[in-house]
Amino acid sequence: MVEEKIVCIGCPLGCRTTLRIDHHGDVVKITGYKCKEGRQYVLEEYRNPVRILTATIRTEKSRRPLLPVRTNRPILKSRLKEATLILVRLKAKPPVKVGQVILPNLLKSGVDVIATDDLFE
Amino acid sequence: MAQMETEVLIIGGGVLGAAVARELSRYKGDVLLVEKEADFGWGSTKTNMCIVCQGGDTLEFRPEYHRSKLVWDSIPLMEPLCQELDVPFKKVGELALIRNNEELSKFQKLKSRAEKLGLTGHQFIDQDSLRQMEPNITREAIGALHDPHIAIVDPVRLTIGLIENASQNGVKVMTETEILRISREANQFEVETNRGPVKCRFIVNAAGTSVDKIARLVNSDDFVLYPIRGYVGILDKNLGGLIKHEIHMRPDAPGQMNILTPSVHGNLFFGTTMQPALRGDCSVTGRIAEIGLQNVRKIFPDLSEKDIIHSFAGFLMFRNWEVGWHECVVQASQKVPRFISICIGYPGVSAAPAAAREVTELLRREGLRLETNERFIPIRKAPPVFNELPEEQQKKLIAKDSRYGHVVCRCETVSEGEIVEAIRHGATTLDGIKFRTRAGMGRCQGGFCTPRVVKILARELGLSEEKITKKGRESRLLLYKSKDLLEAQL
Amino acid sequence: MKLSDIDVAVIGSGPAGMAASIRAKEEGAEHVLILERQEQLGGLLHQCVHNGFGLFYFEQDLTGPEYGHRFAEKVKDLGIQVLLETMVTQISPDRQITAVNNHEGVLRLKPKSIVLAMGCRERSRGQLNVPGTRPAGIFTAGTAQRFVNVEGWIPGRKVVILGSGDIGMIMARRLTLEGVEVKAVVEILPYIGGLTRNEVQCLHDFHIPLLLEHTVTEIHGQQRLEAVTIARVNKDKKPVNGTERMIECDTLLLSVGLIPENELSRMAGVALDPLTGGPVVDQWRETNVSGIFAGGNVVHVHDLVDEVSWEAEIAGASAARFAKKEETEKEKKMLKPGRNIRYVVPQSISAQHDVTLYARVKDMEENVTLKVGDIFSKSLRVVKPGEMLKIDLSPSQLQQLKDDPVELSIEGSKRR
Repeated sequence: MVEEKIVCIGCPLGCRTTLRIDHHGDVVKITGYKCKEGRQYVLEEYRNPVRILTATIRTEKSRRPLLPVRTNRPILKSRLKEATLILVRLKAKPPVKVGQVILPNLLKSGVDVIATDDLFE
Repeated sequence: MAQMETEVLIIGGGVLGAAVARELSRYKGDVLLVEKEADFGWGSTKTNMCIVCQGGDTLEFRPEYHRSKLVWDSIPLMEPLCQELDVPFKKVGELALIRNNEELSKFQKLKSRAEKLGLTGHQFIDQDSLRQMEPNITREAIGALHDPHIAIVDPVRLTIGLIENASQNGVKVMTETEILRISREANQFEVETNRGPVKCRFIVNAAGTSVDKIARLVNSDDFVLYPIRGYVGILDKNLGGLIKHEIHMRPDAPGQMNILTPSVHGNLFFGTTMQPALRGDCSVTGRIAEIGLQNVRKIFPDLSEKDIIHSFAGFLMFRNWEVGWHECVVQASQKVPRFISICIGYPGVSAAPAAAREVTELLRREGLRLETNERFIPIRKAPPVFNELPEEQQKKLIAKDSRYGHVVCRCETVSEGEIVEAIRHGATTLDGIKFRTRAGMGRCQGGFCTPRVVKILARELGLSEEKITKKGRESRLLLYKSKDLLEAQL
Repeated sequence: MKLSDIDVAVIGSGPAGMAASIRAKEEGAEHVLILERQEQLGGLLHQCVHNGFGLFYFEQDLTGPEYGHRFAEKVKDLGIQVLLETMVTQISPDRQITAVNNHEGVLRLKPKSIVLAMGCRERSRGQLNVPGTRPAGIFTAGTAQRFVNVEGWIPGRKVVILGSGDIGMIMARRLTLEGVEVKAVVEILPYIGGLTRNEVQCLHDFHIPLLLEHTVTEIHGQQRLEAVTIARVNKDKKPVNGTERMIECDTLLLSVGLIPENELSRMAGVALDPLTGGPVVDQWRETNVSGIFAGGNVVHVHDLVDEVSWEAEIAGASAARFAKKEETEKEKKMLKPGRNIRYVVPQSISAQHDVTLYARVKDMEENVTLKVGDIFSKSLRVVKPGEMLKIDLSPSQLQQLKDDPVELSIEGSKRR
């Protein structure tokens, strides 16, 4: 039996919940939550913790040294570091418009990296 | 590194070294001034309280002391000097607060002593008049002694003005130059610096907190100095109009001076707590800050911690601390010919004009030939301060150079044009820009303007932004370029 | 470039200024002018590369630049006049604006109404009075954010962050994603200053130690920062002797509070509320100076950018109506903060219109009741200073008010 602690971010209460997980990886018990939405969030967060990655990438041929980017959908939390190292290699060249795909299918996840600002010379 | 040769080497670019340089530039002959830091006035000068004794403070001093005489002789010189150098000088007057009869009788004694010396204009102010003159100060004061002559200046601007005028008139100056060794030859000194050797005939040792260290290099430390640390706080400009005079309260405990004064830039400054400390340790402890605030609240009770936008500690070098009000060092060495040391402690700024003349006289006695420089120009024009100019002139300035229309420091309204001008005049660091233009001295303390100032410095100096420092040497601001740390992990 | 007959002049083009200008135009103001000191519209949004913006306004999770882009496009489409790289240096009580830029030089403008949308600044070390030396390597979190996200520079590789406000936590994550070791976030209170979401997604996600009830007691290093001393604090927020320890670092970021930037407001004679640091406003966001309105962080520091824009829209609409010389009903019932309420905005309301009240508590409490006079009462599981309260009131409720001033208060049971 393993215990995992997750803080719920559903409301300002920030309930500190504890999940008991059996050796199959199934959640057998959750304690510490105060509402059913919180319970749902925490369960989902345990099973599939995902995050939107926001970052900057370098540019070339632009007065602006960096372009802010994001993943258009969340990716697995565990892959954030790997994703960051992929982004280091990218260079954006103007013109770029907000929403433009900079790198499709990041880490074969089906998620694209898109620009969140315009880039001019 | 080229071999440098000069007649007079001035060690130290604080207010005293700079004043000597300017004074010597009235005469022909080679003068070189070297300064350890990246800009001028960064030692004791910049932590000064900005007050110029115009006679009043000498009430406290013993008139028989050398230092008092220097201050006295400087009185007629300071205002014209500031006008010539185009640096601020503002007569605000001083109110020495009287809280009880004991203080009253003390001040009466001091006043009569001053009058015997020929110092006039002091007046006792009663409680009602005091209320009218300064409605915001403590109700505890039953009156005050008013000295109308006390003025305020900006010591770093004054120092830079002196340096620039000296340079205009032929003096060579070098920053980031540190003295390593001095050896005595037959008729000259061989000085080793981190930037190469310098041969010179005369040395003026004006090295502030290192004056005794430099003197030791030629075995001429025939004086002992004690570093005394004072604490200065700067208050938000919003309070600027609330106090009009320099206000002084007698210390309750020895070593706790208590001064609150307007500054030439519209802030209020307060100064407090003087205590012996390890030289170079400019750190401010929590306890000192607490005492400082407690003390200044005795003068201005409505002050809160929130009103302090910045605070710092600075050093004064004192001689014979145990004696109380003490002597200063302005002397030719007893052991080494043509070696003059100067260190005044408090009030160095006020005494500078006369001290410079005295040093010149000492040099003459040591054999320096003083031939008047007919081409001496006493007038130096300061770079324009955009937010002090009338609108018509602001428009003209922008029309001439559009960078004056780009405001970079919003708290002090400092334009890019002024920053570029400061760089042209020798600033190479963030602090250099701060002291010369005030960018970064406002209530946000550089939060908004720092990235922009760094960019301008890099551009004008032709350097990458990561080479820009806060105050020279290893004080770089930006250690890594974006993604460099990540690339190292690839 | 026509700079006369301005109906509404908006100072600042962040999420407040842009929203105010758009709303002013939509409300019928013909000539709306934005004065912005930076080189582009958007204010600080450009350096906020993280998401969490627009969750309510657009019902999407956007990054700062994306949020700003939406408004900037609308500003362009509506033909709102924009002066960039223009610094307003003065506003007089009779609504004369003096501004400076490098193409027009010194400008004098006399708009019919003004919206103040200057946002806020960060509290600095100088104000914090942290003892110790003055080395390079100490930045406020916002300044570091500008360097990291816009200028392309990383201040250092071993960072300590003082203060757990949102921007401090956001920078903890940002720096970690840039390869920096964030050694600790140090917070003097027993709870974080910002949103729980940030505690999880910025600190927990990256295993960054959060040291509650601690503070930095000393700074070390002559040229560049070398270390900080931290210590635990007691409930009076004073360091406890014997708990000090040194953390080696080359950078210290300060995230210790935001202060509404009201230098210009003061010049114009606008009365400020010492509890918020911003102008005293009525529910139309008008200040005590006729024709000068304010909205956004300049009035009080918000948690969410969405609220900043919504509030600024009220100011923009009111400014437009003022310029058209429309009558506004001017009944003013004063509001006052009661038990465990630090401030309430707006500071006065009328009973004839819907109104939204914003408030912050002083201390964290659980299982409390939020009360507005005797016309509104709501149970809340928890209240925290870092999470603003919003109360919507209708005329039918407001007309039952008997007291003036009306008190907002928290009636509590458990104190955490």
